Amino acid sequence: MADIRFTLNGKATAYAGSAVDRLLDVLRDEYRCTSVKCGCKEGECGACSVLIDGVLYNSCCVAMGAVEGASVVTMEGFRETKRFAALEKAFGEVSAVQCGFCIPGMVLAAEALLSKNPHPTEDEIREGLSGNLCRCTGYNAIVNAVNNAAKEGNGLW
Amino acid sequence: MVNGYVAASLQEALELRAAHNVVPYAGGTDLMVENRPGVAYLFLNKVPELKRITVDDESIRIGAAVTFTEAIASPDVPQLMKEAVSRIAAPAIRNAGTFGGNLGNGSAKADSVLIEFVADAKLRLVSLRGERTVDVDKFYLGRKKLDLGNDELIAEILLPKQGLEQYYYEKVGGRNALAISRVSFAGVFAAEDGKITNVAAAFGAVADTVLRFKDIEAMLLGKTLDEAKALKADYLRAYAERMVLTRGRVSAEYRKNVCMNLLGDFLTKFGV
Repeated sequence: MADIRFTLNGKATAYAGSAVDRLLDVLRDEYRCTSVKCGCKEGECGACSVLIDGVLYNSCCVAMGAVEGASVVTMEGFRETKRFAALEKAFGEVSAVQCGFCIPGMVLAAEALLSKNPHPTEDEIREGLSGNLCRCTGYNAIVNAVNNAAKEGNGLW
Repeated sequence: MVNGYVAASLQEALELRAAHNVVPYAGGTDLMVENRPGVAYLFLNKVPELKRITVDDESIRIGAAVTFTEAIASPDVPQLMKEAVSRIAAPAIRNAGTFGGNLGNGSAKADSVLIEFVADAKLRLVSLRGERTVDVDKFYLGRKKLDLGNDELIAEILLPKQGLEQYYYEKVGGRNALAISRVSFAGVFAAEDGKITNVAAAFGAVADTVLRFKDIEAMLLGKTLDEAKALKADYLRAYAERMVLTRGRVSAEYRKNVCMNLLGDFLTKFGV
């Protein structure tokens, strides 16, 4: 049987396992992309967020067969970009990170939002991050961080 | 591919559906949570015929693999449907979740299905044997029971082009984002020459299927607003008697109170 062919963080790869397997599990166990966190396996928490062809998905709710031919980006790939540098700086400056578990998903949700809407309002930021739960920060610092990244990273998105 | 088939066209999808014991997979958001053991998926997320939103003389046709995010961005999708699907979960789920999946999952909580009930939507079902069009309320045979053959796929949802402009929609959930409906309600109203021509009301998440009672709606059809006002108490009583609600995450009594309040508010909004 043919493998599932896809691109992970810019590199072509093939997965020989089952098409029913969760993208989340395969990313963590097979490819050691441990930035992708498992919080709920129900699409409720956003900790497993990844970009597939530039669109935000919860990788717990994606079967491997659905990524055939697609480009998957996790934090391991996104962290090499200038956009990540802007987000990292902004998150750090306002102490938007505490335990860090939600942050890879939060940052990819911010990237998905800013790539569609480079100058979001506060409400739009809250909507864009509404699928990403954080138990530490109370969200305001994260919202401020994304707002600052959008301003200071002007032109990156 | 192990335990899966990727279809590149509708014809290929129908051939695979007929030849293998497969579960149609569009967005995966319900299937992956359910995580059925020993299953094989038929991946429909790349079938172009199922990814389109088109408009013909009578209908807005939404392909079964169109995602909620795509529908919200479409100029052709009625505002009522946009409002309902924009309240589903959060962006990442709306990026994946589809109209066909919302139907095929069979839940009475499905937010797009509520709108299809109140809009008298039709579904186009296809197989290698041919195709048929069914009314959405006939498609639901009972709790999680659908009028869909083992070789059939949901191809399109057909919404009427006109008549959904004046609507009332409320989703009652436990929180703002990521909320599963505890009670959802959609009403559509229309009047011509001072007489009511449509007063459709649908209730979601409160029974085995979405509820709609066309015989009670008929009480107000053809009536003026004043005549309808005089009948309002009888109309509400008829609903209260008919609605037998199930207990879910909240009590049946609570659900019924909310349903009746929303129904009354719907009529008030349109002057009845």
